[in-house]
Amino acid sequence: MLRHEVVVVGAGLAGQRAALAAVDAGREVAIVTKLHPLRSHSGAAQGGINAAVGAEDSVDTHIYDTVKGSDYIGDQDAIEFFCKEAGPTVVEMEHFGTIFSRAPDGSLARRAFGGAGFPRTIYAADRTGLALLQGLWERLGTEQFTLYQEWDVTNVVVRDGRVQGVVALDRRRGEFEAIAAKAVVIATGPAGRIYGRTTNAHSCTGDGIAAAYEAGAFLKDMEFVQFHPTALLESGILITEGARGEGGYLRNASGDRFMSKYAPHVLELASRDVVSRAIVTEVQEGHGFTGPYGQYVHLELMHLGKEKVESRLQEICDYCRHFAGIDPVTEPIPVYPAQHYMMGGVGTNSRGETNVPGLYSAGEAACVSIHGANRLGGNSLLETLVFGKQAGIAAAAYAAGSPAPDLRADDLDAATALFRAWSSRSDGEDPSTLRTEMQQTMDRYVGIYRNEADLLEGLKRIRALKQRFEKVRVVDPSRVFNLNLIDAIETGHMLELAEVIVVGAYARTESRGAHSRTDYPKRDDAHWMRHTLAKKTAEGPNLTYAPVGYTRWEPKERVY
Amino acid sequence: MSEDTVAATFDVYRYDPAHDTAPRYQRYTLNVSPHTPVLTALLRIRAEVDPSLTLRYSCRSAICGSCAMQINSKSRLACETHIGPEMARHGRVVVEPMRNQPVLRDLVVDQASFWRQYDLIEPHLKLDPAHPMPEGKATAMTPEQVDGFKETPRCIACAACYSACPAVEADAEFPGPMALAKLYRFVVDPRDQAHQDRLVRIQPNGLWLCLRCHLCTEACPKDVRPSERIRDLKEMAIAVQGATEHGSRHAVGFKDNIVDRGLLNEMRLVRQTYGTVGMLGQLGQGLKVWRKKPEILHKPRRIEGSEELEKIYDALDPAPKEGP
Repeated sequence: MLRHEVVVVGAGLAGQRAALAAVDAGREVAIVTKLHPLRSHSGAAQGGINAAVGAEDSVDTHIYDTVKGSDYIGDQDAIEFFCKEAGPTVVEMEHFGTIFSRAPDGSLARRAFGGAGFPRTIYAADRTGLALLQGLWERLGTEQFTLYQEWDVTNVVVRDGRVQGVVALDRRRGEFEAIAAKAVVIATGPAGRIYGRTTNAHSCTGDGIAAAYEAGAFLKDMEFVQFHPTALLESGILITEGARGEGGYLRNASGDRFMSKYAPHVLELASRDVVSRAIVTEVQEGHGFTGPYGQYVHLELMHLGKEKVESRLQEICDYCRHFAGIDPVTEPIPVYPAQHYMMGGVGTNSRGETNVPGLYSAGEAACVSIHGANRLGGNSLLETLVFGKQAGIAAAAYAAGSPAPDLRADDLDAATALFRAWSSRSDGEDPSTLRTEMQQTMDRYVGIYRNEADLLEGLKRIRALKQRFEKVRVVDPSRVFNLNLIDAIETGHMLELAEVIVVGAYARTESRGAHSRTDYPKRDDAHWMRHTLAKKTAEGPNLTYAPVGYTRWEPKERVY
Repeated sequence: MSEDTVAATFDVYRYDPAHDTAPRYQRYTLNVSPHTPVLTALLRIRAEVDPSLTLRYSCRSAICGSCAMQINSKSRLACETHIGPEMARHGRVVVEPMRNQPVLRDLVVDQASFWRQYDLIEPHLKLDPAHPMPEGKATAMTPEQVDGFKETPRCIACAACYSACPAVEADAEFPGPMALAKLYRFVVDPRDQAHQDRLVRIQPNGLWLCLRCHLCTEACPKDVRPSERIRDLKEMAIAVQGATEHGSRHAVGFKDNIVDRGLLNEMRLVRQTYGTVGMLGQLGQGLKVWRKKPEILHKPRRIEGSEELEKIYDALDPAPKEGP
């Protein structure tokens, strides 16, 4: 059996930052990741990272914008901590080696982003995630730790009321292993692939969130799913908010800059939930363009000029040319919203602690909550680093004071009996088919606009898929890189999380941030200014509610 | 965008060490629109036809670097290689694992040597304790200094260059294009304080094994242009410590020959590269050349008008390129 003091699951920005903090605290650390760390989905983040470092800006304004963006369900105490850490975090990443774009005076360049009072999004062209991922990985590489690369964590083992370790599949050997750990940090990112139309990578399947849920952790606010306004039509590939931050326009088929109707003050730079709903409404009212891949609106960059577009939005130019066959310098980009981000996740406080002793979480896998019902662009990269570090510090402190973990051979057998059964069936359900049907269900019934009938239908279908999943079958007989087995593991994880999303969305009879109920179109602070907590039971998720952390910002109507 | 579809033929390399004694090719036929990426087609094959087909993939938008493979014999990202042009040019889409890395299964290769070379160039800022980072604020760096990195920050470590590189194939000690482009990124970083040391160390450690074929630059999906950065590293290395290696002495000698006489004098070049004693080691090779080309022993002469060449060199390179 493998043994470590602190095991970090996931090696994107949050996982790496947690690992670095735990190493700094003197603990012995292992990272378990299903991708090489440099292939993590953090690297796909484009637009930038928020920090109120400009002379005209202030940390208070960043806090206010984030509270307002959250539609008043973000925890204000956590948001204050988060925004205060922003400046030092960005400076630290610069010192680690991140190559940021610069202003002529040599300072960090900043651009405007949606829902922000000032241009406070620091960036590295339109590949900020990649720049941060390289900088952090190269800094972490100077430290001592163990890397289990291309290992999928399938289970978190809890006994005697605390974490004892994890079970993971080594893709290369096709063997399951038990890894004993005093503390485990879940930093596996989101589960965006629950949806078919998503900007997320294929690897975003919520494995760590599902393993934590199975192990008894609360999942918080899972019904809040962000749809990014501008994704390429057929592929769902993200076109950064930075494209609008640099001055891009949205136009409907009549040529109108329709955002004037929905956000008269800031137009295209309204919050993401507002812009996504506006695009869907335009299309539903017959003002969209129609093409072979559905209806859409135009994102125009042509008026910005070739030089600006090609230098500040270099990757966007490549995406448009390679994946949509259009040149954004001379042509409008056809866009439509796509699932992009999960505000919800493993419930934590701002130290990354969950309700399970020894279990920590950070990054998109976690929910502190600082994003509340709607995340602002530029806050997610910051979250990975700020709370990754906090989770690493807390996990290290816990591990330092904990006895040796009690992980047993039985734990491995118990976890893997299920997977062995999948491979020994002569008949059963194909995991890819189940995954596709789940995605179609979530796209159709649990999208941007929701209502009771759709959510009930969605829930019925997800539960039917869960039943069929009981008979899932793995046909690939090989051990080495058995993607068929991994498909099944991931699909099982996602079905659990899909159920939590639908149940939470059905219960929340109001509209707040990204959760828009056409049958309950108003925000209802009297009943719903509270967090959803979902706990796994044999009958499905059991929902309870927790108060919102509140300091000094009174809830107001959200107008942009 | 078009709705027309083509019947595309895929010949996919299959090898499972547990069940196959040798690699084989499996044919799949799919109706796809011409702008469908190869990755999308392979995932459709996995979902609809054969779930045992094994490959690496993640972001499907050319930013994670997972899905590099050989497509019709070129090292490419499957996610951004479109089927239409491949079918038009080759009549089918042959999909094989990357080269220069052992196959684990089907299209999945063992990247240990690639990552080892990346680690060997020490890809992290090296600081001199006497010159710490500015306390509590970012280092000042002008946009021009950022431009100095060229396109190297775009590298996604997909290893397409490593797969395409004949020098990697010939010599396992060659760091490969990605690692050298990464080294360049640190050598030009104004925050790094080990520039000279990095250049001095790379000169005898593989820098001159590059064959200057530019296949890496052709293969790179992010336009990082590794071969051009390797050329820059060579110039900087010579500027820092002169020509210390066979490779660098050959390059300098080559230029001297041309400037002096307008003509390559092989005997002189061999002496410049290997030294008078070292020339003895090249005797066998020299004899072979002499049999085919006896004039290599003729007295060196200067060609008419060679002073014009000198002017060209002066105009191109008025002073030796500054090291960092």
